[in-house]
Amino acid sequence: MNIFIQMWRSLFRTGVTDSPVHRVFRVVVNFSLHLHPARVSKNGIKTTYTFCLGGLNVLFFVMTAITGGLLMIYYTPDVDKAYANMLDLENVIPFGTFLRNLHRVSAHAMVIAVSLHMLRVFLTASYKSPREFNWVIGVGLLLMTFLLSFTGYLLPWDQLSYWAVTVGTTMAENTPIVGAKGPFSVLGPEEDMRFILLGGTSIDQPTLIRFYFAHCVGLPGALVGLMALHFWRVRKAGGISRPL
Amino acid sequence: MLKPLVDDLSETTVSRRRVLGSALFWASWGIVVVILGVIGGGVLRCLYPRALYEASKIFKVGSPESYKIGSVNLVTGRGVWIVREQEGFYAILAKCTHLGCQPIWYEDQQVFKCPCHGSRFHKDGVNFAGPAPRPLDRLYLSLSSDGRLEVDKGKTASLDYRLKA
Amino acid sequence: MNDKIEIKERLRLLTVIREEALLRQRDIYPREEKVDTWPNLLVKELIALLIFTIVLVVWSLVQDAPLEELANPGLTPKEAKAPWYFVGLQELLVYFDPWIAGVVFPTIILVGLALIPYLDPDPIKGVGRYAIGKRKFATFCFIFGFTMWFALVAVGQYFRGPGWNFYLPWESWDSPKEVEVALTNFPLVAGIAFLACYYILGLGIPAVTFQNFFWRLGLIRYHITMILLMTMMLVPVKILLRQVFHIRYIVQTPWFNI
Repeated sequence: MNIFIQMWRSLFRTGVTDSPVHRVFRVVVNFSLHLHPARVSKNGIKTTYTFCLGGLNVLFFVMTAITGGLLMIYYTPDVDKAYANMLDLENVIPFGTFLRNLHRVSAHAMVIAVSLHMLRVFLTASYKSPREFNWVIGVGLLLMTFLLSFTGYLLPWDQLSYWAVTVGTTMAENTPIVGAKGPFSVLGPEEDMRFILLGGTSIDQPTLIRFYFAHCVGLPGALVGLMALHFWRVRKAGGISRPL
Repeated sequence: MLKPLVDDLSETTVSRRRVLGSALFWASWGIVVVILGVIGGGVLRCLYPRALYEASKIFKVGSPESYKIGSVNLVTGRGVWIVREQEGFYAILAKCTHLGCQPIWYEDQQVFKCPCHGSRFHKDGVNFAGPAPRPLDRLYLSLSSDGRLEVDKGKTASLDYRLKA
Repeated sequence: MNDKIEIKERLRLLTVIREEALLRQRDIYPREEKVDTWPNLLVKELIALLIFTIVLVVWSLVQDAPLEELANPGLTPKEAKAPWYFVGLQELLVYFDPWIAGVVFPTIILVGLALIPYLDPDPIKGVGRYAIGKRKFATFCFIFGFTMWFALVAVGQYFRGPGWNFYLPWESWDSPKEVEVALTNFPLVAGIAFLACYYILGLGIPAVTFQNFFWRLGLIRYHITMILLMTMMLVPVKILLRQVFHIRYIVQTPWFNI
């Protein structure tokens, strides 16, 4: 028996030693853990305080990003192909349906978790100084989450997406001043907000490609940027809020 | 004790320096703003293509005789209704003024109903129930040189517009 | 020349600590108990990650993402619902014109949310704990808005059928429901007077009744807070006016309707 233990131990040059210094080092030296401080306040890690909501948002985002990336491999933002790609995902590609389901479910979970995270931060008054602006960044993240959901809705190019986006972009047409049909409108139907969104006067190929870009590049980029800022500011404000 | 680096300069030189420095400072910011403005304007302009590959806004919908008096006809693929009344023709854009869904004509009730939010319109396009804020758009309709009806989706006409034929 | 300092050694800046930070640590923050991130926090994170990965996977095995027929610009489906998180806004479209429900309200919601930290006059109260009783007004406003959003989502999602008519969840959508309700508008002057009274009284009465509150917030904060609050309250008010008094618009002008 000893021989196996010896073999196993020989794999690691140094054993796993546990000491306060080692614990600190494991966090500080590791890239994916360096988001965390080496030591955290006891209040901040109570499960009933944060309910892990911020971290879960990261999980859901990473999940949508990974599944979204895989879906991109089988998706063409072309009005003649997009729907056929969906059918392929459902019927031809192994785990295609599962990928699509997981992408959708993670996005739903993200919307829920973002809302609940906001509720948690409000109820614990964590938006107060010095975290005011981080709350504002959080509102930006909320907006990005909603915009990502909205732009993703068009991509399957089925009846559901077409008419949901018709309804959504007609609201843009009704924007005061910069919408063609809104109150006090100054812009025509070929200049207004809706035109920028659609890339034309009706939902067609230019719309699909614009939404595809926004969904896969523009908005995720903005989201990641805001997330980085959000986390950095959590650290700089001294970590999770605690009773004063 | 540390001495200022420019201790031997007279008052006037310092103030001239300060003025120049501050001018340079604000000029730099000005240039930054101009550059950002140009880039922003360029990006915005880039979102408006010079040509649209869309179906023509002006199209012909057949001869006036092909429409029965009192009938409402959907031109499929164009999203336009051609209505013929005793007094003449008019064209209605098949797009609900609420949120852009396509209403459906119910011949038996003589009413347009929008499936999205239940807006309802009379035969002449005037809204009478549901959330639609205004009547359906009335389009400009004319008789082309070859005697067929011609719709211009780009031009809206007033509610009393009718083409006599 | 004599007082020129010559630096012989190469110095290295180790850290800069703001005076404010030191003060905060010493005077405001009580001594806090700290624990090692590894393993205390990381274990919890790992558990949450595992649980919710399983939840997501099971959920996506159970429920398939919807896919309808190919998009057809010439045919609106019988029932066009937005994704559930926008259904609340869609529900508002019954009561308000698209430019309000779809543009102005979302903008006000986002701006209002972003303004919260600047409108709250107290820098310390309730931080770091669920002290709802200590922040009654703030909590009331937020919970009210939060609940209203999800209540609207629930109504739109479960109580609306074809033509956005009201159906109970167990009712069949095949039975036609077309309740013809004649809606009226306020006359223009009455409508403007109503809105003006609504805001003036809504801002005035609390200012007089709760003078402490008013002075604690100050003029600007008070007005922004109360205008946002009254605008939020306009939603239930309008729903009430519509459902009980069959009012379509409070203010109707040739340019816009409220």
